Amino acid sequence: MDTPVTGVPAIGVPVAGVPMAGAPAAPAAPIVALRGLAFSHPGDATGRNVLAGLDLELPRGGFTAVVGPSGVGKSTLLRVVAGLIQPSAGEVHLLARPTPDRRPVALVFQDARLMPWRRVAANVAFGLEGLRLDAAERRRRATAALDLVGLGAEANKFPAQLSGGQRQRVGLARALAVAPDLLLMDEPFSALDAITRHTLQDELLRVWRETGASVLFVTHDLDEAAYLADRVVLLAGSPARVAHDITIDVPRPRPRAGLANQVADLRRALEESFIGGAGI
Amino acid sequence: MSRTGPRHPALLSAAGLAAFLGLWEALVRTGVLPAAWVPAPSAVPGAFLRELQDGIWFTAVGDSLSHYTTGVIAGSLLGIAVGTAAALLPRFDAAQAWVARLLRPIPPLAWIPFALIWFGASETAAAFIIGIGVFWLNYFATQAAVRAVDPGLVELAAAFGQGGFFRCLWKVVLPAASPGILSGVRAGLGQGWMAVVAAELFGIPGIGQRMTEAAGVLATDVLVLYMLTIALLYGLTDLVFEAVTQRVLAWTRP
Repeated sequence: MDTPVTGVPAIGVPVAGVPMAGAPAAPAAPIVALRGLAFSHPGDATGRNVLAGLDLELPRGGFTAVVGPSGVGKSTLLRVVAGLIQPSAGEVHLLARPTPDRRPVALVFQDARLMPWRRVAANVAFGLEGLRLDAAERRRRATAALDLVGLGAEANKFPAQLSGGQRQRVGLARALAVAPDLLLMDEPFSALDAITRHTLQDELLRVWRETGASVLFVTHDLDEAAYLADRVVLLAGSPARVAHDITIDVPRPRPRAGLANQVADLRRALEESFIGGAGI
Repeated sequence: MSRTGPRHPALLSAAGLAAFLGLWEALVRTGVLPAAWVPAPSAVPGAFLRELQDGIWFTAVGDSLSHYTTGVIAGSLLGIAVGTAAALLPRFDAAQAWVARLLRPIPPLAWIPFALIWFGASETAAAFIIGIGVFWLNYFATQAAVRAVDPGLVELAAAFGQGGFFRCLWKVVLPAASPGILSGVRAGLGQGWMAVVAAELFGIPGIGQRMTEAAGVLATDVLVLYMLTIALLYGLTDLVFEAVTQRVLAWTRP
């Protein structure tokens, strides 16, 4: 069914959150499948690969965390899936239907990355301006997305008037507004204080449940990965490969204090991947 | 760096100006400065009334304003366009780099003979001379501002399906660079007034021509009147532009 394309979704595939009438709850098709993915920076004369031969499938509706040492290529992986950079080899199969009123994939950045000259509502509407929507519909969806992250009251503020946590919420609302099947998140909470981070983690889990979107979440924080994800992919080595693929089967809501075993497993796996000649 | 500023800064400014004018008036009245060289400030209002009654003041100011407006608008728009292109298009940047270095140091005054040859003693010639200085200020300010735009915002535009050149330029690059671009425009507004007199020295009607005539008959009070007129026009232009900028760039001051 799926066509080998990069960043461009295949056509004629059901969409997450929009179940087809009478269709069984199919666990089968992944939201995205990466096959033999390789990437090297075009400017790098050594031709060293950041990623090479990387295979990964993300289940539809799942919450997958990607962890690994700094510089291993987590953000690169995210940008390849987002279609922002082209892989030097391999394929990204994105099984989401492109429609004129939504984007299959949306990205949330580490630095919120709001446009300082736009008010909050206009920042959230930015992604909608690339879709075929009239102004009233853009406004309606931007407002709905802002309400979803609890910032409806701040719509008329400039980003500089917001706290760090509020800015990240706006970045999340901007991504949610385009109704993506796959939400890509690049260490979105790493610059926040612990209390704000915990609040936003819980907000994210609520939004994830409510929207049914699949999430690919890059982090270097093992506690965060264990708390949020139902699956943690550990990238290691140079070029990076999937060193460990760990399922976190703790029922939700999860106790923050009760995840010590899972975090210890992740830490052991991370240390193993260093010692195990991963070639860092 | 003073720990406590003056309590009434506006009052102090007014007092400074009054002291300056008072000293000037006193120096002329006591004969320290010969009246034939320097008019007393008190002579300027009379000169203003004469020029007004003869209908000369409004004509001269109107003519100059017309040259100024054309020159500043054309110079600013061209400077912003070329500066943006140089910042965004590496090939164009490389192609124009040495042309810019060759032409940049030529002062606007040096273009006067060519302006007269190309356009005659016309409004276009005056606007051209005014526009040249304005162009360079805008070109350099815009180039620097556009180069400094956060590449993360450009990536953001691409991530949300708006990475096309013109779309990204309009929605991201120009707004992000607008504080720098507008500071270039503001510098150009001042530079434009400085060039007005020079542009009108050679038979193009306006404030500059009237000053040349006044100088010919040693009417120093008329000279000072038009110097003050230009200062006033510059002050007004800058004030209005600053007010507009404050509104447009409200987002830079939360």
